[in-house]
Amino acid sequence: MPLRIEVLGRHHRALLEDFRNQHRSLVDYLRRFALRHAEKDLLARTFLAIEGKVGAERLAGYFTLATASVDRAAVGSIESLDRLPGFPIPAVLLARLAIDERVQGQGLGRYLFEEALGLTLQLAHSGPVAFRLFVTDAIDEAAARFYERFGFSRLTGEFPCRMVLDLKPLLGKR
Amino acid sequence: MSRFQAQTTVTLDEELADLAGRLGLRESQRADLLRELADLASWVIRQAEAGRRIEARRGRDVETLRSPAVERLRRKREEGVVGRVELTDAEVERLAEILDRGFLPPPALRKALSRLAEAKRRPPRLHWKDTVA
Repeated sequence: MPLRIEVLGRHHRALLEDFRNQHRSLVDYLRRFALRHAEKDLLARTFLAIEGKVGAERLAGYFTLATASVDRAAVGSIESLDRLPGFPIPAVLLARLAIDERVQGQGLGRYLFEEALGLTLQLAHSGPVAFRLFVTDAIDEAAARFYERFGFSRLTGEFPCRMVLDLKPLLGKR
Repeated sequence: MSRFQAQTTVTLDEELADLAGRLGLRESQRADLLRELADLASWVIRQAEAGRRIEARRGRDVETLRSPAVERLRRKREEGVVGRVELTDAEVERLAEILDRGFLPPPALRKALSRLAEAKRRPPRLHWKDTVA
């Protein structure tokens, strides 16, 4: 059975235990927090990439989306504020995107990123509320380069590296 | 000042005096000492906020930094789906540059948008490797 995308629910619990990734925090998030954030706290929604027949399914990857508002940490006036839309700027946060290390390098990261981008553009284009930015935190240099290929820009030089994609130019192109 | 606070302050003063001595600072250099400690603490906090475990290693000996404050930061990071993304002024300047400069979608993004527009977009076929180096 081909790979399919499903929204994380309680019935997926057993699948999460076999997920492997070189970054412990990405595994921990999936096993310990993703379901709680989706069902109890309503903070974020996680989408699973599942492969295989019923009863022999494997979790190949996942991504998590949340809404966010981008705001200033400081309150003083700076010149660049005049060139920005008013704070806070509404955003969709790609909070996690991870691929099982046994299937990395086969295009699944790109496929899941496209899924996340598609859902975000759909929401920004025709959802009941507006969003200006698509934001993510790249966990390492390889992840930052991956997102740069899709037009994300780095806001910091450190890792995790906060990155943004302006959705405004994309909304007219769909 | 309560008795508890007074005792705490005395203990803190003694600890600071001890640290000043070990760092080669005189008792009168209290501001220099606090600056040094703030630098060290800021590095530790930055690592914890990034979700990193802090360890001291010599040969096979490994000592992990354990502190309730650091654990709180690490837990916050692990849970880390936040509704509010706070930018420093440097990041605000950078964001203004990004939004100002105009945007020509790079080839990978153009391909992604065109694939998303296709009715029959196919996922990759995966081959599972049993062991990973």
